[in-house]
Amino acid sequence: MRRAWIVVWKDVLSERRSKESLNALVFFSLLLLFVFQFALGPERAKVETALPGLLWLGFVLAGLLAFGRTFLVERENDCWEGLVLAPGDKSAIYLGKLAGNVLLMAVVEAVLVLLFALFFNLDFTSALPGLVLVLALGTLGLAAVGTLFGAITAQLRARELLFPVLLLPAAVPVLLASVSATQTVLLGEPLADAAAWLKLLAVADLVYLVIGVLTFEFVLEG
Amino acid sequence: MPNNWSYVFGAYGFAAAVLLVYWRRLAGRAKALASRQSRGGA
Amino acid sequence: MAVRVLGWLAVLGLMAGLVAAFGYAPREVVQGNVQRIMYLHVPSVLTAYLAFALVFVGSVGYLLTRRAGWDRLALAAAEPGVIFTGITIVSGSIWGKPTWGTWWTWDARLTSTAVLFLVYLGYLLLRGMLDEPDRRARAAAVVGILGAANIPIVHFSVKWWRALHQPATILGPEPSPIAAPIALTLFVNWLAFTLLFLYLLAKRTAIAQLEEHHAE
Repeated sequence: MRRAWIVVWKDVLSERRSKESLNALVFFSLLLLFVFQFALGPERAKVETALPGLLWLGFVLAGLLAFGRTFLVERENDCWEGLVLAPGDKSAIYLGKLAGNVLLMAVVEAVLVLLFALFFNLDFTSALPGLVLVLALGTLGLAAVGTLFGAITAQLRARELLFPVLLLPAAVPVLLASVSATQTVLLGEPLADAAAWLKLLAVADLVYLVIGVLTFEFVLEG
Repeated sequence: MPNNWSYVFGAYGFAAAVLLVYWRRLAGRAKALASRQSRGGA
Repeated sequence: MAVRVLGWLAVLGLMAGLVAAFGYAPREVVQGNVQRIMYLHVPSVLTAYLAFALVFVGSVGYLLTRRAGWDRLALAAAEPGVIFTGITIVSGSIWGKPTWGTWWTWDARLTSTAVLFLVYLGYLLLRGMLDEPDRRARAAAVVGILGAANIPIVHFSVKWWRALHQPATILGPEPSPIAAPIALTLFVNWLAFTLLFLYLLAKRTAIAQLEEHHAE
């Protein structure tokens, strides 16, 4: 566990110094906002109806960028062998990277939600607790698969191409569930209405986490 | 209800075509490998 | 050779299946003869599920034992699996056009099958990008395991999503009480498809073995 913590801390620290990923992702989110608006047209009603989907579209697209880069640092700086040769349980590295990704996405998602509220004059305050829960469950699912597949595709020259191809189909259930649950929450309905979706998310998250923890060492072998 | 045989044949035809193409690809590769084996020596 | 026998059995089975589907099975009352596509569509998807179950088995087997035979199983099952999935989707789409007036409905099974197709197409793409056998086998195994574990999750998520957005369709592709001739025809075709799949699996495995042999 301590090793996982070390991995997270290292990534957080290096990110805090360079803010490379964070800045770019935040800027990307802002751009997405504009793109969505232009794609949907000036009618406010259209955006409001599409809001849950737009939010998650934004999160998935940002996630594709963020998760794809999970091991970029190690790859570029010739530290991959360091990961491979590290003694002990490799799954700690997975959990550490996962936690780092979740933190990164949390910031990006908070920014995107804020931007949506700002630009489309929406009030999320009453829906906030439910929204946070759905975002957390959905992001965990995306990140669990994204971190694992990120490690797999890190070794490939065509990683920018294959990573979305692998991640998006795997992310379908998380996407469906998250959008539906987000819709329930944003419409002001009680969280219990989304209970089935939340349970599905929880189960999916668990399955992905377990698979990630169990199989990561096989990915990291060389 | 019209018979819509064209749809039925279309579906079956597609399936047959795809399977046939795949099978022939496999057979071709098997033959090529077998001849390589006999020429190159195992 | 056993494989050749399997091949001929498959051919026999397919012929029997066709006879049953076109000669024996009755013309369906509501949908007409289009319903006969079901004898292609349903066995295809069942065969695809068998294929991907084998991909899962091969994937786990390789990670646990590192024996190449397991990886060969995974690969040899995935290729026909993708093909049968494709057949499922296309036949389902063609069936839908005269029945519901549209080439594509986001109906639960069609959508789930499409996702399945994309998952395993990605699996094959990944395999194509890795040359080193051990690395390729390991990476593919992880993707294969997650893909398989995701199947039920995808199934339920799509089903519930579908229930949210469409009223329940009165006509599922299968007639509700399944008459005996229909069930028998389905069974014969399912058997035939399974035999065909096993034959393709065996052939693909043999090729993979030969290729490995040559690579050494």
